[in-house]
Amino acid sequence: MTWSLFIPELYFMLMIGVFFCLAMVLRPNPKRDFFIALLLSTLGVVVCLASVKLEGTLFYNVYRVDLFSQVFKVILAIGFFLVICICSELTGIGERYHPEFYLLLTTCTLAMMLLVSSVELLTIYMALELSSYCLYLLVPLRRGYGVHVESGIKYFLVGAFTSAVMLFGIASLYGVVHTTYVGEIIRVLPGVIGRPAAVIGLLLTLCGFLFKLAVFPFHIWAPDAYQGAANQVTAYIATASKVAAVAILTRMVALSSGSSTYLVHVLVTLSIASMTLGNLVAIVQKDMKRLLAYSSISHAGYVLIGIVSMTQSGYAGAIFYAVAYLMMKFTCFLVVVKVAYDGSDLKIAQLAGLHRRSPMLAMALMLGVFGLAGIPPTIGFTGKFLVFVAAMKKGYFTLVLIAMINVVISLYYYLQVVRAAYLLESDASLPPMKVSIPTKLLVGTLVTAILVLGVFPQYLLELTRAAASALM
Amino acid sequence: MIVPYSHVLFLAGVLFAMGVVCAVARRNLIMMLIGVEIMLNSAGLVFVAAALRWQQLEGQVFVLFIFAIAAAEVSVGLALIIYAYRRTGSLDPEKYNILKW
Repeated sequence: MTWSLFIPELYFMLMIGVFFCLAMVLRPNPKRDFFIALLLSTLGVVVCLASVKLEGTLFYNVYRVDLFSQVFKVILAIGFFLVICICSELTGIGERYHPEFYLLLTTCTLAMMLLVSSVELLTIYMALELSSYCLYLLVPLRRGYGVHVESGIKYFLVGAFTSAVMLFGIASLYGVVHTTYVGEIIRVLPGVIGRPAAVIGLLLTLCGFLFKLAVFPFHIWAPDAYQGAANQVTAYIATASKVAAVAILTRMVALSSGSSTYLVHVLVTLSIASMTLGNLVAIVQKDMKRLLAYSSISHAGYVLIGIVSMTQSGYAGAIFYAVAYLMMKFTCFLVVVKVAYDGSDLKIAQLAGLHRRSPMLAMALMLGVFGLAGIPPTIGFTGKFLVFVAAMKKGYFTLVLIAMINVVISLYYYLQVVRAAYLLESDASLPPMKVSIPTKLLVGTLVTAILVLGVFPQYLLELTRAAASALM
Repeated sequence: MIVPYSHVLFLAGVLFAMGVVCAVARRNLIMMLIGVEIMLNSAGLVFVAAALRWQQLEGQVFVLFIFAIAAAEVSVGLALIIYAYRRTGSLDPEKYNILKW
């Protein structure tokens, strides 16, 4: 076996070691911790980019390195890097816990990297649990705002319950197909998919991944965890963790290779329920992070449309959507973190007068929100277009129609946010916000990426197609 | 195999349902955690039975890993519950109701 295939993971393990030492021996020094984290995460992106072309299997074939996994590793590393970028004023978390915060964040990223490469049920389960436990600890790490304990407890209990359900599903799946290798299961499963134990097993197994993605019956943790966690942690849960969930869900649904109409029906129902509920409840939200939580529930529904098509273009659309989603959500969270500089929860009304206080942030927020709403020429429109076309090709007209109606509903609350930022004036004349040069650069890059990839998606599309073809 | 696989599956199903009821209906955070543990153990039972049915070792290895994960889960969960108890002085899940909708 060749260890060079494992370099991104080894690098992140090394990074965990560094933060572990920082957490143990040295006195708190947030500035130093931030710069070390920024440097290491930048290198992490470089390492992942350098290993994109690698291919092979490791550890008795339980760990596959292919284009699909490597592309997702790069996306995860970028997501991690972006979240570290907004940690320069980590006011939501006590200074003493900053190294622990970085430690848990790195461990979570490593676990997700393991997750996207795993092709064996035990490895998938272990990686999923490792990433979940890090998040369970990160959510209540916030400096006392009262709600963080409650949201931590809720997140943990719902998560532990779902993972137990998922484990039972894996067990009954194993009882039918007598193998734990995903590649073997693809071969065996279509022959036995008529058996109730197989379908129920696969469905219960999917529960764990649907929980990560916050799809309808497993969404209850999302608004609470989003509101209770520190803003940076929320940004991480909303971006990187969702990308990993899309990756593994795609891999697991690709298992059935479209041979079970029952599975398709269940997923279609969940997709419709999830986007409708997410969009309707988001309308009444006053808290910005809660609004974004419900918007991410509805986006989970849109991603499922791509996955449920069960064609290569559908999977490619879902991956594209995940990338687009990461950029747009992150842009919104960047603005949330900067406006709520003291680490408190941000009400939508507090955005009032943002266009005067900081025109750049207001523009970034507008573009991010327009992207989430799917307005051309942003990348969000292209993503939605791709998954809808994939579903139309399979003949799911009703599903696409319902999704279209949902897009229209979602416009209402997205425009509310833009209205707060642009049209409302704040009562107290708040001073203009100081935006540092690195932040301006970051905002500029994100905005350019959202627009350019929306107009010229060819290159990214080729990449996602190639990644999706590794699945089939 | 002396005991048929379906019987073990039935037993595990009953155990799983008991775990679900314990996790959903009990009004105490620690009892809810125990319910989740029972669910994990029922899954372990299915793995052992399936390993015996197919004459493979994978299922048994899976159970060993489940033990380790359950231990990690309890340590994270109990730490969280103790933290919550210190802050609020209550283990009743009904008390954690600030966040709605």
